[in-house]
This record gives sequence, structure tokens and C-alpha cells, in this order.
Amino acid sequence: MYSRAWVRVRSTYGEPAWLAVNLAVPLLSSSAMGLLYRSTGLGNYAGFAILGGIMLAFWGNVLWSMASQFNWDKEEGIFEIYLVSPAPISAILVGMSLGGILATAPSAAFVGLIGWRFFAVAMHPSWLAVSMTFFLTLASLYAMGMLLSSLYLAYGREAESLNNAISEPINFLSGIYFPSIGIGSPFPFALQIVASFIPLTIGMDALRKSIFYAGGVNEIWLNLLILAVMASILLVLGDRALKSLEERGRREGTLVVRLR
Amino acid sequence: MAIVEVKALARSFRSRGSDVVALAGVDLEVDEGEVFGLLGPNGAGKTTLIRILSTLLLPTSGYATIAGYDVAKEPEKIRPIINMASGAERAGYEFISARGNLWFFSQLYGISGEDFKRRVAALSDKLELGQYIDKKVYTLSTGYRQRMTIARAFINDPKVVFMDEPTIALDVMTARRIREFLAEEAHSSKRTIFLATHNMAETEAICDRVAIIDKGKILVCDTPANLKRAYGMPAYVLEVSPPPNAPRIFTSVPGVKGVTTTLDQERSLARVKLVVEDQEVVEKVLKALTDANIRLLSSWRQEPTLEEVFVNLVGRGFAERELEDAS
Repeated sequence: MYSRAWVRVRSTYGEPAWLAVNLAVPLLSSSAMGLLYRSTGLGNYAGFAILGGIMLAFWGNVLWSMASQFNWDKEEGIFEIYLVSPAPISAILVGMSLGGILATAPSAAFVGLIGWRFFAVAMHPSWLAVSMTFFLTLASLYAMGMLLSSLYLAYGREAESLNNAISEPINFLSGIYFPSIGIGSPFPFALQIVASFIPLTIGMDALRKSIFYAGGVNEIWLNLLILAVMASILLVLGDRALKSLEERGRREGTLVVRLR
Repeated sequence: MAIVEVKALARSFRSRGSDVVALAGVDLEVDEGEVFGLLGPNGAGKTTLIRILSTLLLPTSGYATIAGYDVAKEPEKIRPIINMASGAERAGYEFISARGNLWFFSQLYGISGEDFKRRVAALSDKLELGQYIDKKVYTLSTGYRQRMTIARAFINDPKVVFMDEPTIALDVMTARRIREFLAEEAHSSKRTIFLATHNMAETEAICDRVAIIDKGKILVCDTPANLKRAYGMPAYVLEVSPPPNAPRIFTSVPGVKGVTTTLDQERSLARVKLVVEDQEVVEKVLKALTDANIRLLSSWRQEPTLEEVFVNLVGRGFAERELEDAS
């Protein structure tokens, strides 16, 4: 697990150009959203944009990147080395995910620091609630990533198309840069219900409450409970899907891609 | 003692609505410390057999065991004692050094830091990776990447190593070093090397025994020397110009057991290797060439190789067999 995390971190920071991209892209997109809020007279919402930039980086790395790295490993012939080894695939995925978190952390801190200084965002954080939400959200994202990765085991490139097709709608519905559920949501109630099935929506809502409105554990307990339930269900589902699709892949010959 | 046992192993794939047979009832036994070659043209079933034995694919019927464990039912007991490498795989993660990659792959087997250092030093020494071991993979040449891949396949001190065309597209020196390494590992460490290849020279150079596979069936299995003795027939190489349109001009002559043709377009000639029953057949072939206005530029006799064994058994060389499959 730790060795795969190390591979991810080394690969990310092994090249100066990648490091620059990793730091700059989330900052630019958050700044654009923050400036948009400010220019429309909603300067106090700029904090949402900064938080969105930070979480988008984690979201992208833990969920989408984990599944696409998994597919990359498969297409490059490295995945079959994992399978032939005694290491459990779930541990390798945790490693990829952990590596993603560690690789994202400096960029998230950079976005947070610059955003806080430039937009003078007023924060009233409840750190216990923030940390609990953050880790439960990441656990749910990891479990979702495991589910998506398991699809790659059986379907390969078709799963990549699904991954691409659902990523933007999920980004939109989960309200990365604006509240998509509860007070201030622009969505009708039915759409808010749909959005609530995405762990990131619940996580972002709880993070906004606990960072900007001093919401403690008592105020966001329902979000924490939902995130814990989602994480548990998704972890069980992801683990089962991984095992059963590995077996199916062995049966149908879809575990490896012939390179020549 | 047999460490790999294969009984009536079959595998078919569903493709475009019909079943394609990749393995049609394979029986094999491979001993500990043996370099075992699986020789056949592309599409013969070599990679499918390796994938089943390395627990990546389930057989349709029959069974196979590694060290007594069933490959279909007990993969978790087999995986710690095997490893595999292919000539077609990526060596590892490009932006990490060869040593870093080897350390990562060693962690898949839970190898301690001390053991890793000891093993990587020994492998680096044997495969002459020394000055390149701390360089990032993307800076390495194809040959050194493949040396790293081979080192990776031995990092867990495996009992059985599956190699699928390990020297494909390598320069002569690197290929030779890798072959020597494989033979040393098998004979000095009692490791079994299961080598799938369509390289005859490689097979003859290092394999203790060879199974020739075609269309998913093992045709023969013995030492290279015994195979050549039993099935090898004299071969004659003829350089002719202009190149004949079809091999029929040769195969229609009674006594011709097989033919392989290589075109040299630059010199507008064909190099034809004929496997024949006896020398008299060659005289008949030369007459047929004269009748067809094809000039004989040179000819020589060749001692039987495994290719002649294959031609004698199948009636075609590897290249002709692959063309036949493609059409």
C-alpha cells in the first residue's frame, strides 16, 4: 500500500513541469470562480470557490485518477504484475488513493493560502467537524474509486467512457463551487435529492457549514452520519465488485490487455 | 520432480459469435530447475498457456498445478512462489529509477529492506545493470529496460518464472546476456524457467526440454537434441531469382516435406529453405525451377534445426503458418 503511494508521489513530484501544473491549475480555476463571485457582489462566497478548488483537487486525485491510473496500469501491462503477486488489489488501490491525497496536499494548501490571502475569506472553522467531514468524504471517495476501478477490470476502455461521461455531471451536481443542497441552492428540491446521493455533495455541504459558519459536530451530525453510511456501503460494494469482477476477468480473459 | 503439471488443459474464447480454440487439450510436466521451452508460431497458444499457469486466466476444462496447487482454485498459494515477465510489457514507472521500481515491485511480495538490498545487488551484478540502476526508467535504452524487467521477475526469489518472449526486439548482446542469466538461474538455484518463444536459436541455446505447440496442441516434447535427431531432416537453402509467385512450385515436388521463403526485395531474390527426404529431391526441385525460368544463384546444405523439426511436423515454417492463420 505505502509503496504504491510512494510511486504516485514520486511520479507527481519527479518532474518540475508536473509540479507546476499541479499547483497552478486548481489555483487558477478557484481564482476564476472567486473573482466571478466578487464581481457580482457576492464576495463573501469567494470562500466557497477556494474550498471548491481544494476539494476538487482531492476529488479528482482520489476518485477519477485512481480509476484511470488503474486502467493505465492495465493497458501498460503493469496490472498483470500486480495480479500475479500476492498483494491484494484493494491494498494497491488504497496506495494509489493515499498517494493521490499526499500528492494533492501541497497544491491544496497552496490554493488555500493564496485564496485566503487574496480574497480575505472570513473563516470560523470548527476543526473537529472539519477533520471528521474531510476524512469521511475521502473514505467515501476512495470507496467510489474502488467501484469505478472494478469496472475497469471487466470492461477496460468502455469503463473509461463511462468515467468520462459521468465526471462532469457529478462535478456539477455535487456543488463544488456553490451550495447545491440546502439554503442557497439554485436546484429544485428533486434535483437536490438526486445530488444528495453523491458523497461529495454531503461532504461539501458539511465543510461549508463547519469552515465558514462555525458549525460544530452537533450541527453537521446528519451529514457525518450519511457520509459514514455511504462510505461503509460503498466500501463493501467496492470490495465485492473488485473480487467478483476479478474472477469474471479471469474467466473471460479481460484482465490483461495484449500489447502486441 | 515435476513442479508444473498440466493435464488435458483447454481454453477457448468467444469471438464474433463463435468459439476460438486457443488450447486444445495440453498435457505437460516441467521439472524443478529446468529451462523449459514452449516453441510455436504467433497464435499457437503459448501466451494463453502462460496466462493460465500464472493464474491470470481460467481454463475452460482440464487442470494445471504449480507445486501441487491448482491454478484455478488456489491462486493465492501459487502467487508468492511464481513471477513472470514479458518482452512486450513496460518496464515500470517511467519517472522513477530502476532501483525505485524494483523496490516497489519487491513490496508486492512483502520483502524486507535488507533482503531487497541483497537481492537487487546480486541481480544488478548478474544482469550488468550497475551504472543504470539509479537512473530514471525513461532514460534507459530498450535493452536496459528489459534487464530491469528480468530483474523484477526474480526479485521475490520465485520457484517458477514464466517468460513470454523475453528477448524480443533486443540487440544480440543483451539477448545473449539475458539467456545466460536465465540458464544460470535455473541450474544454480533450482528455479524453473518456463519460456514461451518463437525464437528457435533461443530455445536451442538454453532450453533443457522443448515442447512444440501449434494450434493449441503440443506436437512433441523432448530435448532439442532428441527432437532434431528424431524429426530433423536435411535442409537445403536455395537463393533463386526472380522470386517464385507461390510456394507450390516447391511443394508440388514429391519428397519436399516443408518450405519457408524469405524475400530479399533489394536484390530481387528469394531465399528458400527446403526440408527434403533426401538429396535426390533437390535435383527434382532444381529441374522444376529451370522449367519455370527461375535462376538458381546459390545453394547450400544446412544441419537440421528446430525449425526443420517444426516444418517436418506441420509442413510449414513459422512465417507460413502465421500467414495461413491471418488469411
